[in-house]
Amino acid sequence: MSIDSRRQFLQTSGLGIGWLAALDLMHGAQSVRPTAKRVISLFMQGGPSHIDTFDPKPLLAKLNGKAPPESFGNEDFQNGKLRELAIMASTRKFQRHGQSGIEVSDLLPHIAEKADEIAVIRSCFHEGFTHSQAQFLINSGWPRIGRPSLGSWLLYGLGSENENLPGFVVLLEGGVRSGPAVYGNGFLPAEFQGTTFRPGANPILNLRSAMAREEQRDMLDALGKINQHHLSARGPDGELAARIASYELAFRMQMAAPEATDISGETEATRKLYGMDNAVSADFGGRCLLARRLVERGVRFVQVWSGNGMNATDWDGHIECDKNHEAKAAQTDKAVAGLLTDLKSRGLLEDTLVIWGGEFGRTPTTDGGVGRSLGRDHNPYGFTVWMAGGGVKGGQVIGSTDEIGLRAAADPVHINDLHASILALLGLDHTKLTYPYQGRDFRLTDVGGKTELAERLRRG
Amino acid sequence: MQMLFLVLLFAAVHAPAQTGERARAILESKCMTCHGQARMSDFDMRERATLLKGGKRGPAVIPGDAKSSLLVKAVRHEGDLRMPPGKDRLSGEEAAALAEWIDKGAIWEAAGVAPSWWSFRKPVRPAVPVVVNQARVASPIDAFVFAKIEEQKGKPAPEADRRTLARRAAFDLHGLPPTPEDVDAFVKDATPRAWEKYVDRLLESPRYGERWGRYWLDLVRYADTSGFETDHFFINAWRYRDYVISSFNNDKPYDVFVKEQIAADEIWPMSTDLEGTLKLPEEKQKNLNRRIGTSLFTIGSFPIEYTYYGDRFRAEWRADAVDTVGAAFLGLTLNCARCHDHKFDPISQRDYYRMSALFAGSVESEIPLGSLFDVQTSTRNFPLLAHAQALKRMAGNRGANRTPEERAAVLQKLGEAYLRAPDRMATANVLDHETPVPDTHVLIKGEFKNKGEEVAPGFLSALHAGPAIHEPDSDLFIPRRRKALAEWLTSPENPLLARVMVNRIWQGHFGDGIVRTPNDFGRQGEAPTHPELLDWLAIEFADGGWSIKQMHRLIMTSRVYRLARTGRRLDADALRDSILAVSGALNLKMGGVGVIPPLSKEEIQAARMPQLWPTHPDPAEHNRRSIYLQMKRSLTLPMLQAFDAPDTSASCPRRETSTVAPQALALMNSGFTWAQAGIFAARVKKIAGDDAALQLETAWRLAFARTPDETEAQTALDYLRRNSLERLCLLIFNTNEFVYVD
Repeated sequence: MSIDSRRQFLQTSGLGIGWLAALDLMHGAQSVRPTAKRVISLFMQGGPSHIDTFDPKPLLAKLNGKAPPESFGNEDFQNGKLRELAIMASTRKFQRHGQSGIEVSDLLPHIAEKADEIAVIRSCFHEGFTHSQAQFLINSGWPRIGRPSLGSWLLYGLGSENENLPGFVVLLEGGVRSGPAVYGNGFLPAEFQGTTFRPGANPILNLRSAMAREEQRDMLDALGKINQHHLSARGPDGELAARIASYELAFRMQMAAPEATDISGETEATRKLYGMDNAVSADFGGRCLLARRLVERGVRFVQVWSGNGMNATDWDGHIECDKNHEAKAAQTDKAVAGLLTDLKSRGLLEDTLVIWGGEFGRTPTTDGGVGRSLGRDHNPYGFTVWMAGGGVKGGQVIGSTDEIGLRAAADPVHINDLHASILALLGLDHTKLTYPYQGRDFRLTDVGGKTELAERLRRG
Repeated sequence: MQMLFLVLLFAAVHAPAQTGERARAILESKCMTCHGQARMSDFDMRERATLLKGGKRGPAVIPGDAKSSLLVKAVRHEGDLRMPPGKDRLSGEEAAALAEWIDKGAIWEAAGVAPSWWSFRKPVRPAVPVVVNQARVASPIDAFVFAKIEEQKGKPAPEADRRTLARRAAFDLHGLPPTPEDVDAFVKDATPRAWEKYVDRLLESPRYGERWGRYWLDLVRYADTSGFETDHFFINAWRYRDYVISSFNNDKPYDVFVKEQIAADEIWPMSTDLEGTLKLPEEKQKNLNRRIGTSLFTIGSFPIEYTYYGDRFRAEWRADAVDTVGAAFLGLTLNCARCHDHKFDPISQRDYYRMSALFAGSVESEIPLGSLFDVQTSTRNFPLLAHAQALKRMAGNRGANRTPEERAAVLQKLGEAYLRAPDRMATANVLDHETPVPDTHVLIKGEFKNKGEEVAPGFLSALHAGPAIHEPDSDLFIPRRRKALAEWLTSPENPLLARVMVNRIWQGHFGDGIVRTPNDFGRQGEAPTHPELLDWLAIEFADGGWSIKQMHRLIMTSRVYRLARTGRRLDADALRDSILAVSGALNLKMGGVGVIPPLSKEEIQAARMPQLWPTHPDPAEHNRRSIYLQMKRSLTLPMLQAFDAPDTSASCPRRETSTVAPQALALMNSGFTWAQAGIFAARVKKIAGDDAALQLETAWRLAFARTPDETEAQTALDYLRRNSLERLCLLIFNTNEFVYVD
C-alpha cells in the first residue's frame, strides 16, 4: 500500500489507530523478531546526575575542589566552561547490588534492589546543552520543534492494541520545559499524537460530558441520523464516514478511559508497592500505577514525567544538587522499583520495555552560575540511561564515561543509536520507518543510528 | 518533461547508430539537472573532459571500459552509489546505450545545451486547447481541464446549485459562512453577471484578507513567541500579521509583496532629511509600512537563551531565513542543502551558503514607527507604565508570601495594567544592517563551528543569473544584498515565483494544487497534473500585474470551480470562526496585539507556566477571529490544535485534515462549544420565539443557509421534544454539514 492509500485506509476506518494496525502498519520496517511490544518511558525532567546515581567516579574525590586536569580539554556548559570550574566529588555512597554487582548509589535504594533487572547504559550523549533542545533531542532526535516524538513513531509503526484508548499516553507532573510539542506528532498525522492523561475520573481533555450518558446517546443518535442522511445525499465518501465513526469511538472512549484510570479496584498491597501510602511518593507512584494499567490495556507507549518544568522541582540541581536529587529520589525511587516488580509479577515485564533517564546528565564540576558552589550544570556529553524488560538482559553495564564522568568514552551511544536500538527491540528497522515530508523521507534517526546496542541489550 | 521526452524520441528514431548523441540525450535528461551547471558533488558532465574526470568520487568514465566506469555502475545500481536518486531510475535499454557508447570510446562533440527540471524552465504561454463541447467552456481554465477530461473520455460533474456555490465562495474567500440574506439575494439575482458580482463583493470585504492572510502566515511559520523553554514574546509580531492582512485586502501586487518582505529597507530606504521630524510625510509613512514586511525574518522559532549568541545564533537565524525563502517563495526544499549537497535537486551546499550570505550583515532592529517628535513626546506616557511596573514588583519578589490565588490575582491585574497603559511609542521589529558584514563560509555538516570554504553572496546556480551585487566601498554605506535577492526572485526570468504562487491560490480553492506538493517543485515533489494550465495561470498572473484578487476572479468564474464536488473540511481557524459567526458572538474588530482567550483549568495544565496566561479582561475580545489570537509556540490553543493547527516550526503549505476522536470530544464537550451553543440558541429564540418548527428553520438557515428537509426536520423536532434548544444548537455544530463545505 502506498502511504496515501494506507493513510486513507487508516482514516476511514475510524480513529486510524486500532487493531487493524496489525495489518500493514509496520510500513515495511519490520526487521527482526521483536522482544518488546510496548514501552514505558520514565522521564526524569531536568537531568539526573549520572555521577551521583549509576556512574561512580572515584577520581573525583581526589580532585575535589581542583580545576579539571588539562587532559580533559574544554567544554561549553550552560553556565560556564569546564576550564573555569572546580571539580565537585559526589557525596553519595556507591555499593554493588544483586548478583550482577552493578553499582548504584544510596540515593536510589529501591532501584538498587533491581540491579539484576536493569541494563545500565553509561555512555549516552548528544549535542544539546539546554533543557528544551535536549528534551527535543531525547524525545524526537532533533533539537527543535517539528519532528515526531519516539511515541508517535512507535504508534505509526506498530499501531495500538486498544482502539478505545489513545495509543500514546503522557502522564505529566505539571509543565514541560520545551512545551507539549516534545510529545507531539510533528509532521505525522494527528492520530499519532501523544495524549495527556490526568489521574481521576476525567483523564482526557473534554472527555467528560455535562450530559448524562442517556442524554448523550440521544444526541449521538439524532446526530448520526442527520449525518447519515447528509452522507447518503452525497454518495460514498470515506472522510464523512470516518467522521461519523469517530463520534462512536469518542463515546466508547468516554467509558474506556475512566475505567483505565479508576484505581479503586487496586489492592492496598499494590498501592504500597508504588509508594502511594506515602504523601511524598504518592503522586509519581499513582502515575506509575496508571502506566501499568494502560499498558495492560494495550496502550503502546506511556511516558511518565517526574518534575513539573521548574528548576527547583525538576531534576535540575543547579543550586544544591544533592538536596535537589534527594527530594526527587524520595518521590520516585520506590515507585520505579514497584513498577518493575508489578510488571514482572503480571508477566508484563517480558515484553514491556521500561526506559529510565532524563534529557542529559550533570557536570562533574560545580555550576558556573553565581552562588552555585554545590550545584551541577547540564551535561549532554556523557550520561546514563537504563532499560529493563522487553527482552533486555538485566544486570549489565554498557559503555562508560571518562574518568571524571564528563564525556562518553567506551562504546558511546549517540541519541540516534539509542533510538535506533529502541526501535529494534520493538522489531522496527529505523532506516525503513520513514514518512515523506518536505521533499524527502524522514526518520526518527535522521541520517544516523546504529543498532549494536540492541544486540548487546538482548544478549548481555 | 514532455520536451525531454521528445528529445529522447528524436534521438531514438533518427540516430540509432550515433551512440554519442543518444548517450548525450540520456545524460542531459537524466543526469545534467544536477551534474551540469549546478556541479553537484563537483561533477560536471557538460564537457567530455570534466565528464571523464568525474567529481568527488573520482573518475566517472573510463573510455573503452564501461564495466569499470563508475557512471555505468551507478546507473545500474551495482554499488553503493545509485543514480539518479529517487524515482527516475534509467531503463535497462538506456543503461545499455550508455555502456555501448563508453565501450566505443565515449566520443562526442560538445554541445551547449543545458536542459533541466521542468520547474526550472521558464513557463511558456501554451495554446489554449480546443474542446469538443464548447458550451461547457466559460474560461480558458475550463478548456485546459475539460480537454483532458475529454481526452480520457470522462465526463465533468454537473454544476453545483447556487446556494452551494454561495457557501463555497464565502468559505473559500472569508473562511466564514455567508449570511442567509446574502445567499438569498444571490440565489434570486437573475441579472446576467450575478455570480461575478457576488464574488466581487466577497473580495471587497476585509474578511478576505483575514482568510488569505492566514494561509500566508502558515506559509511563513508565523507565531507571536519564540518557542523553547523561554518562549520569548515577540512584542511586535502582530504588526507583521496586520501588514499581511492589509496587503491581501489591498491586493498589493505579489511581486511588490515579495520585494517588501525581503528588502523593503534596501529598496525604499528612509532618507534622513529633516522633513518628517514633526510629522511623517505620507511617503515616509508608506515606506515604514513596507518595512514591516521584513519582520518576516524576526518571528522564527529560536531558543532565545543566554547561551545562544554569536555564530551559533547567526547560523540558525540565517538557515531559518534561507529555508523560509526557499519554501515560501520558491517552493524548493533548500533546507536539504544546509549540511550537504541536495540529494535530489540541483542545489549544492555552496549554493545554500551563497544564499545565506545574502542575509549576512542583516540583523533585527526595533525601530520607532513615528516621527522624531513622536519619539520624544512619548515620554509623557511613562507614569502609566510606572503603575504597571509597581504591580510587577508586587508580583515578583515581594509577593513571596502570597498564596497562589493571590499571586494569580496580582498577575491578572498586572496584565490588565499593561493593556491599559498606552504604547510608550509605536515600534516595529524589522531588518536592519550591521557593519562590518561578517564573512560567510560553507558550514561543513551545517555545524557553525565547522567552517569550510568562504563564499560570496549569490543565487541558485541551476536557475537564472541574478543581478550583480555591488558591495559598498566603505562602512558608511549599507550593502544591498537582499535587494538583489528581491530582484532575482521577482525577475521575469524566475521560473518558480509565479508558478508556486498560482498553485497556492489554486489549492486554496480546490483543496489540492495543480502540483500537489506546494512547497516542493523539485524532483521529489509531484509533477503537475495540468502542466499547461499551471503555466498559463503563471503567465496570466505575472503579465496581469501580479494581482491575487484577479486570480481568484479568474478561477472562480470558471465552470470548473462551479462543479459539484465532495466536501472539504474546515480548518481549525475557519471552524472556530464559523461557530462564532453562526452563534452571533463573532467580534469583527481587526488588528492589534494578539488576544489571549481564557482556557479551562485542564487546558492550561499543558503550559509550563500557567500563571503566564494573562487572559484579556474584555470578554468580547475572546470572540475575535482566530487570526487575532496570540500564537504561542509552546502552547497551541487546544481547540485549534485538535483540528490540525500548524506547529509553526517551519513553513506549513497546507493544513492536515485528520479525523480523530478528540475532535468529536472537543466539539461535543468543550466549554467553548457549550457556551456558543447557548448564545446560538438565544439568537434563534429571539428570531423565532417559542415555536419549535420555526426555531428549527431559523437555526438551519443561520447554520446552512437553507431550511431543513423533511428527514432533518423530523429528526430534529423529535429530538427537541426531549431536549433543549441549546442542545440542538450544540448538535448542529457537530454535524458533518457544519464541518465539511461542499
